[in-house]
Amino acid sequence: MDKIVPAHYQPALPLDTLILQDGAAGAGDRMDLDVLIVGAGPAGLACAIELARLAKADGGELNIGVLEKAEALGEHSLSGAVVNPRAFRELFPDLNDSDFPFRAPVGREAVYLLTAERSWRLPTPPSMRNHGNFVASLCEIVRWLGAKAEELGVNVFTGFPAAQLLVRDAAVAGVRTAPAGLDREGKPTPGGSASNDLVAKVTALAEGTRGLLTQAWCAWQRVPSENPQIFALGVKELWETKQPLDRVIHTLGWPLPSDAFGGSFVYPLEPNLVALGLVVGLDYRDAALDVHVLVQRLKQHPLLRTLLAGGEMVEWGAKTIPEGGFYSLPERRSGDGVVLLGDAAGFVDVPSLKGIHYAMQSGISAARAIFQNLKRGAALAEYDRLVNASYVARDLYRTRNMRLAFRHGFILGGIQAALMTLTGGRFPNGKYRMHADAEVARRLSAGSRAGSAETPIGVSKVDAVFKSGNATRDTIPSHLIAAPDVPLEVARFYSRMCPAGVYEAHDPEVGAQHAAPLLRVNAPNCVDCKATDVLGPRWTPREGGSGPKYKRM
Amino acid sequence: MKIAVCIKRVPDSETRVKIAADGKSLDEAGIKFVLNPYDEFAVEEALRRKEQAGAGEVAVICLGPAAAQETIRTALAMGADRGVLLQADKIPIDPFETAKLIAAELKGATWDLILFGRMAIDDYNTQVGPLVAELLGLPCVTAVSHLDIEGTKGVAEREIEGGIEVVEFPLPAVLTADKGLNEPRYPALKGIMAAKKKSLEVKPVQAGAGTLEIVALTPPPDRKEGKIVGEGAGAVGELVRLLREEAKVL
Repeated sequence: MDKIVPAHYQPALPLDTLILQDGAAGAGDRMDLDVLIVGAGPAGLACAIELARLAKADGGELNIGVLEKAEALGEHSLSGAVVNPRAFRELFPDLNDSDFPFRAPVGREAVYLLTAERSWRLPTPPSMRNHGNFVASLCEIVRWLGAKAEELGVNVFTGFPAAQLLVRDAAVAGVRTAPAGLDREGKPTPGGSASNDLVAKVTALAEGTRGLLTQAWCAWQRVPSENPQIFALGVKELWETKQPLDRVIHTLGWPLPSDAFGGSFVYPLEPNLVALGLVVGLDYRDAALDVHVLVQRLKQHPLLRTLLAGGEMVEWGAKTIPEGGFYSLPERRSGDGVVLLGDAAGFVDVPSLKGIHYAMQSGISAARAIFQNLKRGAALAEYDRLVNASYVARDLYRTRNMRLAFRHGFILGGIQAALMTLTGGRFPNGKYRMHADAEVARRLSAGSRAGSAETPIGVSKVDAVFKSGNATRDTIPSHLIAAPDVPLEVARFYSRMCPAGVYEAHDPEVGAQHAAPLLRVNAPNCVDCKATDVLGPRWTPREGGSGPKYKRM
Repeated sequence: MKIAVCIKRVPDSETRVKIAADGKSLDEAGIKFVLNPYDEFAVEEALRRKEQAGAGEVAVICLGPAAAQETIRTALAMGADRGVLLQADKIPIDPFETAKLIAAELKGATWDLILFGRMAIDDYNTQVGPLVAELLGLPCVTAVSHLDIEGTKGVAEREIEGGIEVVEFPLPAVLTADKGLNEPRYPALKGIMAAKKKSLEVKPVQAGAGTLEIVALTPPPDRKEGKIVGEGAGAVGELVRLLREEAKVL
């Protein structure tokens, strides 16, 4: 074996269990709502807030429920983040920028090209200029938005993951939540709680990156996109530093190989509280690439080493990012009884490294379309029209090929991206075709053979998972669907792909009577980053409150 | 069965707490607060007793800041019937002052059972329950890990060093719940919705100054760095010698 194509080992999306006829047996409570929003992130909460306000202004009230799989608001939310305040201003016209849950306006900023020992300051590309934007923690943003939504009477149910899509004919009727309190074999235990059915006139899927029900709906309704969605994996650490940081930093180059797309970010939330991370496209070619290990190496660069010396890592987390841009958006983000918002739909602009304000804006647009739908039966396709006419679609169209240009490596990609910037996206023309990440072949290099696994300097994956706040019950059933027998090379590929140490590759035991599995799955470690769902075993939701407990990520 | 459960809002045990600039209190910025885990056992036990009796009331009483309403809602979502917040900006350092405020509230009604958690995981005082019992002149059993009630007579088990102590007591009584008493239920969606509509009375209270004062808070000393003696069977001898002579644990 000299190459791995991850798709060959990936189980199919379990559509037959994800799409469920409304009224199917097996649920405990059933709750009727006007509007159900799946996911309390920036998209879902902006949608809930705008919708509750529209209803109130109209002299009525809507029964709006928001489901969230994290135990508390914001605990599964992770971003850089430098936030464009535009959607905040639209959602809260009566508030000032200083009222928003931001940490500080971006002052100085710098972009560097790194080699192992040196750094060159580059002119900041226009798309990456952040003047007027704010450094923030997405956890804090989500908690703030959640409180605003609750003040308006929205019901926010934390600790309830949506696990199945309830349907009637071709319409979405609601969702069924994941049960809680199952034992390792998946059997209910005393004190556990059964699934709940939540049904609504409109369901907004704001599940975030690589949303399970979003995938299921698009597959079930055969809603295509011009390109498949592609993803990057970001691994982030939060540091209390002894040295203050006075600028927003982005880096390109080392420690990434030249055939991987990505870069790092270093943001000061406070002068001595620094968020840093590395984002790598999941179309990387070397099966041995390990983003977590690369972050540990990045910290050894002189630029960061001096900043972090004597400091302490206080939090760690990981998350995928939908990077396909304009051509990866589902052809329509609305259907019978359903709309797709935010990261779940793919509203991320890679060249400017922004998604939060697009997510919120899509939520605001969805709220307006849903309100008209409930009030006078207008089609939910209005949501697509609103987004297509907004800066969300405009911005993504302008940079439509920029991320895609990097599919053949960093240097060629960089030149093309520069031309695209100069011409406002018009040159080179046409549409760049992409493969799904799982279809990209990985080479087995020396690094991917047994015995040469790199030792992470800094933080091990086990310590990292602890710092994510992950306190998932050890006795829950595994939520990851892996192919029964994968070759050792694939098991090793998974073990490096997963930043949280969920997968372990074990060499075959010599002379053993029964072959032990080569892939071992430590499911409770999972921090729901979804990289596994993109390249390896499928992800499904666990009982509510499992996974990380991010606080300032 | 009429049961009062006294609960406390405490920092989540996963929270990394920081000492505030005054050196005497915790910096509350960014801390996630939860219902004290031992109080969860108390709430669960109250709900089971009421369910068993087929009738009655479970009232939840909490001394704390306005934000503690959220903590009370958690108990209401589990199934408690109503809540009372004795609102004070600061919870007194002196458990006796806390006990006086709670006892004053409890005196307003008659109760079959008054339940507390064995202790709050923030200050570990384990005092308020017994102090309230004393103030109300009721019998008190602490750290209950198993409970049987027949009519007006109760039998409680307490886990003590090397065994189990069995205590008989008459009702009404004050009990404090230990881990193992039960497995608290997961809040249900319907319970969360219902909790929003349940009565939550807010009563401002003024705590006395008490006789205790926190002089200083200090974090535990940093753990000394470990030592790797070696690898494989060859290192065992040296490890045993170090455990015996340096660590003196063998």
